[in-house]
Amino acid sequence: MGWLPGGGRAVTKKATALRLHRALTRIWASDPGWRGWLTTVNHTDLGRMFLTVAIFHFCVAGILAMLIRAQLASPRSAFMGPDVYNQVFTMHGTLMMFLFAIPLFEGLAVYLLPKMLGTRDLAFPRLTAYGFWCYVFGGSMMIFALLAGIAPNAGWFMYPPLSSTLGSPGINSDFWLIGITFVEISAISAAVEITVTVLRYRAPGMRLSQMPIFAWYALVTAVMILTGFPPLILGSILLELERAFGMPFFQVADGGDALLWQHLFWLFGHPEVYIIFLPAAAAISTIVPVMARTTLMGYGWIVAAAISLGVLSFGLWVHHMFTTGIPHMGLAYFSAASTLVAVPTAVQIFAWIGTMWKGRPEMHLPMLWIIAFFATFVIGGLTGVMVAVVPFDWQAHDTYFIVAHLHYVLIGGFVFPMLAALYYWLPHFIGRRRFFRLGETAFWLIFTGFHGTFFLLHLAGLLGMRRRIPSYEPGQGWEVINIIASVSGFLMAIGFALVLIDIVANALVAVRGSRDPWRAGTLEWAMPTPAAAYNFASLPRVASREPLYAEPDLAVRIARGDGYLGDASRGRRETLVVDVATGRPEHLVVFPGNTALPIVMAAVTGGLFLGMLIKAYWLVPISILGVMALAIRWVWTLGAVADEGEIPVGHGLALKPAPEVERPPGWWGTLFLFVANATFFGSLLFGYAFLFTIAPNWPPPAWAQPGIPGFALLALGAVAAAAGPRLARARLAASGPLAGLALTIAGAAALLGAAALTVIGLPDPSRHAFDATVWVLAAYAALHAALAGLMAAILWARVRKGFIAPTRRGDLNILGLWADYAAGAALIALLAAWLPGVLAG
Amino acid sequence: MRDILRLSLPLTLWLATFSGLYALHGLLCSSRFAQAATPDEAGRFLLTAAALLAVALQVALLLALRSGRWGAPSGFVRRTSLTLGLIALVATIWTSLPIAAVSHCL
Amino acid sequence: MLAGATAIFALVMGLVWAAIRRAPRAAGERVFVLGLGLAFPLVVLAALLGWGLWAGERLLPRATPDTVRVTAVARQWEWTFGYDDRPGHQTRGVLHIPAGRPVDVAITSEDVVHSFWVPRLAGKLDAVPGHENVLRLEAAAPGSYAGLGAEFNGTGYRDHRFTVIAHDAAGWGGFLAGEEP
Repeated sequence: MGWLPGGGRAVTKKATALRLHRALTRIWASDPGWRGWLTTVNHTDLGRMFLTVAIFHFCVAGILAMLIRAQLASPRSAFMGPDVYNQVFTMHGTLMMFLFAIPLFEGLAVYLLPKMLGTRDLAFPRLTAYGFWCYVFGGSMMIFALLAGIAPNAGWFMYPPLSSTLGSPGINSDFWLIGITFVEISAISAAVEITVTVLRYRAPGMRLSQMPIFAWYALVTAVMILTGFPPLILGSILLELERAFGMPFFQVADGGDALLWQHLFWLFGHPEVYIIFLPAAAAISTIVPVMARTTLMGYGWIVAAAISLGVLSFGLWVHHMFTTGIPHMGLAYFSAASTLVAVPTAVQIFAWIGTMWKGRPEMHLPMLWIIAFFATFVIGGLTGVMVAVVPFDWQAHDTYFIVAHLHYVLIGGFVFPMLAALYYWLPHFIGRRRFFRLGETAFWLIFTGFHGTFFLLHLAGLLGMRRRIPSYEPGQGWEVINIIASVSGFLMAIGFALVLIDIVANALVAVRGSRDPWRAGTLEWAMPTPAAAYNFASLPRVASREPLYAEPDLAVRIARGDGYLGDASRGRRETLVVDVATGRPEHLVVFPGNTALPIVMAAVTGGLFLGMLIKAYWLVPISILGVMALAIRWVWTLGAVADEGEIPVGHGLALKPAPEVERPPGWWGTLFLFVANATFFGSLLFGYAFLFTIAPNWPPPAWAQPGIPGFALLALGAVAAAAGPRLARARLAASGPLAGLALTIAGAAALLGAAALTVIGLPDPSRHAFDATVWVLAAYAALHAALAGLMAAILWARVRKGFIAPTRRGDLNILGLWADYAAGAALIALLAAWLPGVLAG
Repeated sequence: MRDILRLSLPLTLWLATFSGLYALHGLLCSSRFAQAATPDEAGRFLLTAAALLAVALQVALLLALRSGRWGAPSGFVRRTSLTLGLIALVATIWTSLPIAAVSHCL
Repeated sequence: MLAGATAIFALVMGLVWAAIRRAPRAAGERVFVLGLGLAFPLVVLAALLGWGLWAGERLLPRATPDTVRVTAVARQWEWTFGYDDRPGHQTRGVLHIPAGRPVDVAITSEDVVHSFWVPRLAGKLDAVPGHENVLRLEAAAPGSYAGLGAEFNGTGYRDHRFTVIAHDAAGWGGFLAGEEP
């Protein structure tokens, strides 16, 4: 340590920091060895695991792309027949969109957000792990299908009837519908977590206006996932029900309509591409100011632009359906919205350029990738505006013009910024300074390879080359374009391979780096790298957007334990929950330790999906029971049987722990899960209304007529379910919550009865789309009634064990959310199912 | 959470009215219901009325966000929510323009 | 559109170049965010949208006295055509139309979603089972025009093609009278 003025004090400080580090590491570390991979709930580990698996899928999808380019390099190619080719291009798109892009964002957000926000982990660590394993198991299903030659082959957007029993009688489409839905569990869980974390898990004092811009983008993206994915999940469920049980949602002969799928899919599909772009914009907004040695221009404008992009993108979906025969005015609304969406995009682009203008950009490798982004994404955006013009799209749709456009925006707008992000945060991931310089060579190979591959393909499209054709005749003027594209494609692939080698070589061999090599100002750089399992030895008080610029010695003070919770004496994993707007600390949270519960739960969930896939239907109820049992175990570890009272957290502040709070983290998680759930329900109601008004071959043979008993059960059940938790809360101190819980269970049972009466008169859901829809509505109402009843029963058991008390009623508040939702959903679903019958007679 | 609502309401209102307008147009032009009964002028009149209602709602929301009672008191959230309110108003007008400019059910 | 897009691309890349090359200079948030980010795109996009809606309007199948109506039925993997003015007659893989007159093609499908596309005569319109979509085309001169199925529909997609033959007035009269198959 050497001589220092007051050298004795310096030794004590360093020893304190070291002792604190050791104590916290004992508490927070993952299990050693390979067991650690399976039981970790640590966001740093899981973030790196997500990134690694996502990059693996990118490589597989990239190999598929090389196969496509090898096939199309010359006319009349016999390299692959149409059967194989259709699987190859379908899987290329599917893997890239679902198994690479979204999980890469998840990985980056999972790794970075708690560090940037100044907290110790995401809101629900076991949920992060569960999401990861669902992604791995679902992805494995898809890879298996690919290797076994039974992969989905109806295009990555799977239009029925081609993708349904009529066009694809084999198992291929089922892999997509089931496997991708399984993977989407991981997206929804990550989205719930990111939302709750950004809103409530921040460093004390970090106001909304002081959050790193990355956090704003992550919040918007997460909410988009919660509202954008459910339409696809619904569509996939409906299509799988059609394929497995003949429920004719998309078969026009029995009252279905092929266009319903297109609406549901693109309601997801358009927001999906902005879900992919916004994280890239987040990376650019973070990296450009640091590279330019200045602060971001127009922070508030960029927040407004990100929110605008997030919501406006939900109003564009029909621009993927301009050729389906919708009247011109309908199309015109979406043409208007699709042009408008370029404005918030432009605001961000010019704000970034303005940041560079006022700063002094240093051309490190991340900055090179950002220049590549500008050169590429802007072209993609311009061709996007072109196809927003309806008459132009009527020619360009389903040609290589669109293929070129989408690769310009996805590779230019996502892959290039993510490469910048990879190189920018690489010192943080691996804790080393980059030594090998392969990255620069890779950059030029990828950049020139990309434009060589895709620029001329715009022209091929305008010359009439349709997308998804397995080969083409000579003499149409496409040969030169395609051979250039294929050769360039291979150059690009070599470039990506070099990136991979570069990362691995540096990770294994390079020397240890400094803590903050880019001299950035955000909190993730205020820790030693690679990151410790606990992130921050103590939680800093924050009053600025760039805390490290405001207090250059912040990292040292954090390590010394100067912040909040700078003590490991209670021997458990603790962090703070703050007020949404002001960042004022509100209560303490204790995280769970390492556990195999998430991976086991993911495997049992997989059993449910596998049973549907291989038509071993006995596996489905067994898996459901298994998931229920594991969920009860999961929830049982939360809460407390006695009050702890206020706990000192540092700086004279004492806060209650989560079980003694009215709205614990689980309440917030439930709330945002319901945003996704309500969107799913809304999509179902939309589908019903669409089929009712647009689908040919209506009205159905019979309406649903539940009679007076049905109405009575619904009314009583809804009132009882809503009143139950309220009664339980009101009587908690006096006579206890059991009466209220019993009322909730009775209400749930009544709602189940109403749902059963709904389908009694419609015994065959495969007869007509109306019958099928009513069955789904009734099942939805029944599922939520059952969940509310089950939860009330679990709380009954918890009451007996002493978990519930007047000072510990968070559980009852969570039950209240589920019971209210069950009541509301049953009312709307069942009344919607019965309404035509009532009106008709 | 109030601040989050102030930021998310303006454009969410746009999305709701935009979808409502598209749904109304779909209903008016659907062969099963209204097209037989409703001449083009009546349909366009209904759509215009609906669009004006949407604009009025956006203006009301913008005024509410400026007011002392519902608006954010000061600073970042106030500025950003008002900006978003203005953006949502412009978006509502922009995406309603086709009603005046384009054929009704063709 | 191409010229405009090229100009905008050049502007953006020029600004990026200048931002990198030159020393740091004062940069108004107003100029970049409000001027370039908001005002400039709004003006350009308003013009583009207006033109696009006007162009789209001109292509719609408005009723005129001399319109000829034909039908096109798609299935995996062939096209069958019918003619209002020659009832009961059907052709496979070849569509006969008169040149110089507006033609309405009523398009539908018997199985999966397909799309009807004659690039030199009009944009494409999907063939959706249970729906009838009407496409307006007009061949300026007599001749033969290539037609394509333009929605991926399985293993036979590549060769799901047809030909459109536009006849002069005499030829069309002859076709309707039954002189040609």
